[in-house]
Formats: sequence, C-alpha cells, structure tokens
Amino acid sequence: MTRLRNVAVVAFAQLPTVAHDPHRTSTEMLYPVIRRALADCGVERGAIDFQIAGSVDYMDGRPFGFVQALDVMGSWPARQDLHLEMDAAFGAHYAWIKIQTGEIDSALVVGHGKTSEGDPRRILNLQLDPYYQAAIGLDPIATAALQASAYMARTGATDADLAAVAARNRTAGARNPEAQLREAATADALRETPWAVEPLRTGYLPPVGESATCLVLAAEGTAERLCDRPAWIHGVEQRTELQTLGARDLTRSPGAQLAAEQAYAMAGIGSAGDADVVELMALTPVEELILHDALGVDARTAAARVNPSGGALCAHPTMSTGLIRLGEAFRQLAGRAGARQVPDARRAVVHVQQGHCLQQNLVWVLGRERRWT
Amino acid sequence: MSRAAAVVGVGQTKHASRRADVSIAGLVREAVDRALADAGLEHRDVDAVVMGKAPDMLEGVAQPEQFLAGAVGAHLKPYVRVHTAGSVGASTALAATTLVQSGLYERVLAVAWEKQSEGNAMWALSPNMPFTPPLVAGAGGFFAPYCRAYIAKTGCPPHIGPVVAANARDNATRNEYAHLREPMTVEDVMSSPVLWDPIRFGETCPSSDGACALVIASEAAAKKGPRKPAWIKSGCSYAEAMWVPGRDQVSPRAGRICAKAVYDKAGIRDPWKEIQTIEIYVPFAWFEPMWLENLGFCEVGEGWRIVDRGEQKMGAHLPVNPSGGVLATNPIGASGMLRLGEAALQVMGRAGAHQVPNVRNALGHAYGGGAQYFAMWIVSEAL
Repeated sequence: MTRLRNVAVVAFAQLPTVAHDPHRTSTEMLYPVIRRALADCGVERGAIDFQIAGSVDYMDGRPFGFVQALDVMGSWPARQDLHLEMDAAFGAHYAWIKIQTGEIDSALVVGHGKTSEGDPRRILNLQLDPYYQAAIGLDPIATAALQASAYMARTGATDADLAAVAARNRTAGARNPEAQLREAATADALRETPWAVEPLRTGYLPPVGESATCLVLAAEGTAERLCDRPAWIHGVEQRTELQTLGARDLTRSPGAQLAAEQAYAMAGIGSAGDADVVELMALTPVEELILHDALGVDARTAAARVNPSGGALCAHPTMSTGLIRLGEAFRQLAGRAGARQVPDARRAVVHVQQGHCLQQNLVWVLGRERRWT
Repeated sequence: MSRAAAVVGVGQTKHASRRADVSIAGLVREAVDRALADAGLEHRDVDAVVMGKAPDMLEGVAQPEQFLAGAVGAHLKPYVRVHTAGSVGASTALAATTLVQSGLYERVLAVAWEKQSEGNAMWALSPNMPFTPPLVAGAGGFFAPYCRAYIAKTGCPPHIGPVVAANARDNATRNEYAHLREPMTVEDVMSSPVLWDPIRFGETCPSSDGACALVIASEAAAKKGPRKPAWIKSGCSYAEAMWVPGRDQVSPRAGRICAKAVYDKAGIRDPWKEIQTIEIYVPFAWFEPMWLENLGFCEVGEGWRIVDRGEQKMGAHLPVNPSGGVLATNPIGASGMLRLGEAALQVMGRAGAHQVPNVRNALGHAYGGGAQYFAMWIVSEAL
C-alpha cells in the first residue's frame, strides 16, 4: 500500500433524531448543525475547501431539495461542491478520496432528509427495479423479512436471538441523548411486540425519524489546528452488489466483507475484534448478525463494543444514519461520547449501508493515532 | 497525490424522444458497451463506477442506480451516485476523474443518462420552493426571466436566439447520435410560437431518452490503450447559493470562478486564442451568448456580437457545440457528460463528420440549479 495522506474527522454535529420536526424544512434543520460543527473547529465556512451533501429528492418529496441546502452551507462566494444521492457517509468517503488528490485539505460533509414528509415504505418500494420487483409491492420491511427468513433457515437463528440483538441496541440507545428511542427494552418485552412482517417484529425495526448532520474532515497539517483530538482515518472502502433479490444470497454480505477486507488491509488490522468500538448500520437484528460474519465481529466483541450509540434501531434519519455512525466513532475516539463513552477507545470500525438487504456497504477504520508516518 | 488522468473511451446512445426499444437498463448498457469497446476494455478492467442523472422523479424510480448496478457492471465495485441538477453529467465525469487522480483507482467508468419518455419532465423539473407558489412551469418557465434580463442588460437583438438555434440544428445534422437532425432556418425559428417569453419553441431543447459513458484512466493506463487519449488538463465544479442579494443570475459568479479555476490549472491565459472549440450547456438558445461572456471568451455584453458575426459557426474562429449541443439532444442527466465527452472526441480527432480541424484544447461545460452549479473541464491532445 502506497502512503496515503493522513485525514481525520475533526468535528461532528447532529440534531437529535425526532419522528417529525413540525417547524422546520430540511434546509432549516441543517443550518444549526453546520454552524455548530464549524464553531467546534473554531473557524468560519471560508476556512473549509470543499463541501459535499447527501440527500435524496424522493425523501424530500420534491426535485432539487439539495439545491436549497446550498444557501445554508455558506455557499457564497461559490464553493467547490458536489451532491450525492446517497447517505452522507458516502459523501465523506468521496471527500476523503478528493483530499487524497492533494487538491483540497478539508471538507464539509452534510446529510439531510425530511423523512416525515412522505411515506418511507412507499418511497423505498420505488427504489426497486421498476419492471419486476417494485411492481409486486415489495417494501423495505418486506425485503428485510425475506432476508430474515432466509437467514434464520440457514443458520437456525431464532426469534429469541433477534430479540437479544434488538434489546442490546435499545439498552445502549437509552444512554444516547440524540437517539429517537431512548427507553431501554428487554428481549422479552420486544418479543411481545407484533409482527411488522413475519419474522420481523415492530420492536426489531428502527422508528421513522429525521435529523440533520454535519461532519468536517481535514488532512494532516490542518486537522491539528481544527481539533485537539482528531479521529484519524486508517482505512476505508465501499462495494455495491446487485439489487436483484433472487440473484443474491441474502443471508450473506459479500460486499460488506470485501469492503471490510480492503479497509482492514489499508488500516493494517486483522478484524473488527481489533477495534474498541464498532458502529454498524444494521436496520434489523438479522442484518446485524450478517454483518458480524462479514466484518469479523466475534460474539465477545458484539456484546461489549457494538453500537454503544444504540445504532440504527434507535434512530434512523434517512441519509444521515450512516454519517451518524462515523460521527459516533469520532466522538468515542475524541472522548466526547458522554454517558455512552467506551473507556479509552483507541480504534473504531464503522459500517454504513444503503439499498435493500445490505446492497451497498461502506467500511471505515479510525484510530486515535495517525496511520502513516 | 493528484496525478494525470485521461479520457480513454467515449460511448453514447442514439438519442430520441422515446427509445421504446430498450428498458432503462438497456439504454444505459448501450452507452457503457460502446465506451468500453471504444477503450478496448472489458468490465473486469474497471475499478469503480460513478453514475449521474437528474431528478429521480423524471422516471419515477428512487435512486435508480441501485437497480442499475448490474447493467453498468458495478457488482462488488465501489459505486457512486451523483446528482447536481443539470450539471450532473459533467460533475459525474469530474467525480470519476477525482477517483483516478487520487491514485486509488486506475480505470473508472462514468455513466450518465435520462429516459425522459418514462415520465413528465415539466412536472419533474418544477421545484417546489418554500414560500413560493408552485408554478409547474418547468425549466423554460424558470429560465425565461434570465434570458429577458440578459436582453435588457446587453441590448441583445431579437434575432440572436434564432441564429443560435439554427446553427445548433445545422451542426446536429452532422452528428449521427443527435436527437433532432432536421435543420431549421432562422426564419423557421422566428416563426415558431413563443413558449415562455422570449423563448420560442425552436429555441428550446428537446426532451430526450439517451445515455453517455466515459472511461477515465490514469496516465499509465491511458498510455496502454489502443487510441490517443484526451488528457484532462483541469476539471472543477463550483456551486453558489440562490438567495443572495445582488447575485448576478445572468453571469453567475460561480461560473466565472469555475472558468478561471479550470483555465488557471490548464495554463490557459486567453481562452479565445488558446481554445479551439467548446461544448457548452445551452438548453435555451439565449444562453449561448450569456455563457460566452460568463466563460471569459469576450467582455460582458459582447457575447451576442460573437453570434452576430458568425464566429461560433463550424469553420469560423470558435465553433460552439459542433455536436449540435443540448438544443438538439437533451437527455438531461446525460447532457453535461455529452458536453465533456464531445470535447474529448474533438481533441482526440474522432468527432467524425462534426470534427473541428486541429483542436489542441477544448472546453466542456455544464450548469444546473438556478444557474448555481457549474462543472467544466479542459481536455487537450497533449499531456
């Protein structure tokens, strides 16, 4: 591996995730988090070289929702800019790549989406192939249930196993003031919740919610000026798979596995077991179990170090859920995670996904020290 | 660290108002297959894929790149979806270039498309602004006041729009992929109905189905290819806020900043003298003189005089949109990439019947949003 530029997360801010913000548009929700992230760095917008946003028009219920965001991102005079129709964490990955070119040293990454404006189940049905899959009415809970059934059939995992994973996340989420679900729940209580789509119970699924997020990346030489304890990026890579459900083994995630192998090799680590904190973007307990296999998370690591934030099961603001995972890793490594702080966290593994049934996966490794010297 | 990158393959579909012979995936695949064949490569040679298209409402599929992962050969590869409004095709090509320049990927496939016959473009292009009544007037309704402001500011005479439109349609007769290939005279355009004052029917881009794909490669990979590549000397994308008091919408500051950045990086001091042809984003004819000024080819107020003198025609000093441009072909998401790809073909000397002789440097340009997003590159025949 050639020497790459050391790049760090130097700031992160989010709005607490809520089911519905009745007073603000997505753009208005975004403004205060950008101001907070910049204030955290002690700089004004002009000090950051590049900006990138992640949002989806369909979630906003209008074309060009991201164009409005330019106004609150401080885009005057004009900024070097890009917008991805993806979770903002993929924007952070792109910004990291752009910093590797040497043309920029810092980047502002934002995620926004007013999920309550529409019906996410209906919208994510429209994400499926329009000829064969969308037309039969599949939605993300139905596709996740197909995946869960296949996984349980292959591995023998039971309803109790799913409940245990959900309960662990919910218990952790109670310590996260920015999570949407902040009541701890026991596995027994979650097993009493009704089927959403069998074998997934409502207690095993994220609530519908909305937030806005902003993260700042900076290269070595700049990062130290913006943050006293930056979270250095040691490795990162992403991979997509086919969408076609029938063409994939839904019980495994070769894309997440390959992305993790690449990111771990870049970081010089063997598995997620080498991390003190693991943040997984799992939208069901089954997805989390599949990710344990793909990322090499053993049972001991899972019990102690996965999703101290409560994960996506406690807050899933579309287009920001992934960036929050990265922000949570930064907070842990910077010692800013409050009641959910993992003591002396020195290395973190972060997973982000989008699409149905873990279609596209992004894996990060971060650490307290610089990767390359 | 930033390293040289080049276009090594260009592919596009035949563009038409309705490509009923192909699905969305089939349309995209047509451009991808042609770009890979052009580069002498196969899917296994591609390290990453970047896809762009304009609002998903145009076809009614949310994040359609997800279901198209197979059609573009992205399985188990890094995959990025760009959306920067009308400039998206250009910013998609620039994002692919960034991936190569980072040193992390050797060959990246950039794909952009739109299949507008699947939906209603007027509706899908009518943003619902806060505190503003929804007009559903489409892009033409949105940009007509920009054109009126240009005319009021510069004294641009009423025949300039028709002259631009007739020239674009004349150029398109020599482009086998263009959507509208029937010529129109200045009189034809003049006598076509006004859709949104001052924009006449003949001065308006069509609504097209079409796709474009480019293969971007590192210097080492480009030198191994079968053909002469188009070297990417510079590429930038800039965007600016909408609601800024005193913002110049006719000649946006973002466009001037972006143009200066690509010229500076490419070592171009006088674009009028050093660039031999340009492919710029002109969805409504009046934007051609506007962009000639914004891009620094002349002083403010002089753009329409270039058109009036005929210096933008094939065989003249600065052929503008030799492919026919957006006025002849407009699959929105692909239109920006077509501009950048056509600029690359010109410096490669492979633009066929619409080749401009002896092109050393070419500019590819696109804009989007309320004239807020700008994405451009300078390509050259020499590294």
